[in-house]
Amino acid sequence: MVEAFAVASGKGGTGKTTSTLALGMALADTYDVTVIDADTGMANILFHAGLSDVNTTLHEVLAGDASVDDAIYERFGMQVVPCGTSLAGFQEADPTELRDVVASLAERTDIILLDSPAALDSRTAVLPVVLADRVIIVLQPTVPSLSDGLKVQEYALTYGTDIAGVLFNRVTDDEAIADISEQAERYFEGDILATVPETEHARGARRAGKPLLAHAPKSAAAQQYRDAVQSLDVRDGSSDAVADRFRSAVIPENP
Amino acid sequence: MKLPRGQLLRQRVVSDLGTALSAVLEEEVTGYARLEPQDTMLLDTDGVGVLTFIDGVPVVAYHTGTDTAGPKALDEIAVTGPYRIELYELEATILAEIHEDETLLVAPTLPAERLVGDPALIEQTREQAPVSRLESHEPSEPATAVESFLSDEERIETIQQRARADARAKAKQWGFTPEQTDKK
Repeated sequence: MVEAFAVASGKGGTGKTTSTLALGMALADTYDVTVIDADTGMANILFHAGLSDVNTTLHEVLAGDASVDDAIYERFGMQVVPCGTSLAGFQEADPTELRDVVASLAERTDIILLDSPAALDSRTAVLPVVLADRVIIVLQPTVPSLSDGLKVQEYALTYGTDIAGVLFNRVTDDEAIADISEQAERYFEGDILATVPETEHARGARRAGKPLLAHAPKSAAAQQYRDAVQSLDVRDGSSDAVADRFRSAVIPENP
Repeated sequence: MKLPRGQLLRQRVVSDLGTALSAVLEEEVTGYARLEPQDTMLLDTDGVGVLTFIDGVPVVAYHTGTDTAGPKALDEIAVTGPYRIELYELEATILAEIHEDETLLVAPTLPAERLVGDPALIEQTREQAPVSRLESHEPSEPATAVESFLSDEERIETIQQRARADARAKAKQWGFTPEQTDKK
């Protein structure tokens, strides 16, 4: 089985990478999880997962200089495929190869989490949302974030991708979030998976190069991510179907 | 609202205004930012948002498409990103006339609250704002802005319709095939 989720937000700064790794760790209690940094232009996962010293990343794989296996790192109970930080690495990376990378990983894992670019303005940015089975939308309870989240949802639905649910992150107003959440539920497909409080632990975790669930496992935020996973109801998709979909993807020549 | 052009400091396309507002604050820019929505290229234009600054702190907000001013203009600007942002420097004496119009004014921290939602930027703006300006505005309630946004079904339907039209137009433009998006 395999199910591919795109973790997307539309807008930057919502804590999408923190959420991707937190959800990945929570899911890894039950499933074999692979997290891929699909935001090839802005490497983040390597800092969050203590991989900033590694030599081989997705960029080298996409450039044809390394095999996928060399860019997979076992960390915190998950397989993590980070992107590198060098501009040269990014420029040499051929995004058309991403489909084969994901297709080959789909054959040997239960869940793929694609940390997606915080934009909808290019084929490369939208591709994870197009290819995934479902999207997890990470939002802050602000007007711009909600507005962008609605746009992500419409893009996903237009391209035949379901919505797994919405995760409110960086919540500062505990009293208001219940009402906001209830109102938002009317417009978003899927459940409100969790409301994660704004926490210093998120910054601390990044500084320590660890996912939030490893850095502050007992924090209220960590518990919210574990609860979110309980509501996710992972589907038992066919590995071949997901692999085929990625293999047949049309990817831009000029992203 | 008419402004002289001023001296262009920089222009770029951004999806998140946090970095831009933070840089304006840090550099203590006096002038204005012109925010032109970028994701409506295939649709009717939405108008342009304008924010003025004194020493990096926001003073006035205006939206040309809807002819709204003050906090309402921020709500219009909030839903239209990504933006092409053009930042112009202008002397405070030239801005003074516009800044006298109370209908245009916003609380110093309101753009950070409604357009970005970053607690650190809100706090930095508060620290840098003149006390007189903080005192002249009631403490704002960002949660209320969100709730008012979510209760406006018509506005949300418009956002959804536009996003759907955009997604369909871009699917053609980007060459996504029906096979690719058929997962059933």
